[in-house]
Amino acid sequence: MNNKMEVRFPAIPENEAFSRMIISAFIMPSNPTLSLISEVRTAISEAVTNAIVHAYGESGAGEIVIRAALVDQRLTIEVEDHGCGIEDIELAMRPFFTTQPEKERTGMGFSLMQSFMDGVHVRSKAGEGTVIAMNKMLCSSCDDIL
Amino acid sequence: MRFEIASDCLTVFLDGEIDHHSAQGLRTQIENLLSNRQLQTLILDFADVEFMDSSGVGMIIGRYKTMAARGGILLARGLSPAMNKLFHMAGLHRIISITPKCIRRNHE
Repeated sequence: MNNKMEVRFPAIPENEAFSRMIISAFIMPSNPTLSLISEVRTAISEAVTNAIVHAYGESGAGEIVIRAALVDQRLTIEVEDHGCGIEDIELAMRPFFTTQPEKERTGMGFSLMQSFMDGVHVRSKAGEGTVIAMNKMLCSSCDDIL
Repeated sequence: MRFEIASDCLTVFLDGEIDHHSAQGLRTQIENLLSNRQLQTLILDFADVEFMDSSGVGMIIGRYKTMAARGGILLARGLSPAMNKLFHMAGLHRIISITPKCIRRNHE
């Protein structure tokens, strides 16, 4: 079944769990394996947490928009914020790089998104916001069985 | 979150979903239990954890540092296959002993 959705919600930590729930519900009709669901949930959790923690600095202000589409078993997800933006995307995506080690951030967010999705692309402009675009084939035969 | 204290060992039974939101509360609760006690072993039991992302990894590394600073150790047990993969990606298996005994109860 082909489908699409757009969801908009406040950038508050409680909505990290909400974002995982809606993406699970969205992909469920394609009968994904448990490990595949877990990977997509982790990827969206990392993207939404980045927006809450970094784009909006845990201020509680601002909105996050999730757009998702499912076409012929290919899932595409966009997580958009209108926060501070990322000045150096390459540096931000470097494994274990974090601007907040004192807050027990690991710098693993983008690495996990890249590991668990087929593709991750980041568009960002300082002062305007960020869009993280991810895609993944949901067919069980191409799933990396744990 | 349940916990047990026996001798110099604190066991914390984590449950549900560990993300940025819930990790902040866990960090505070565990640090409060450790403070003012001569505990040398912290066991984190993940048997009832349904989800964890990198914020959970950060919380674990933070508690590892707390235990290392007092000359103690941190053990992890009850990892699901997904969490085991996350532990390896983060390199946690190199600094934290993961007990092979699997006592997962409800999931997978």
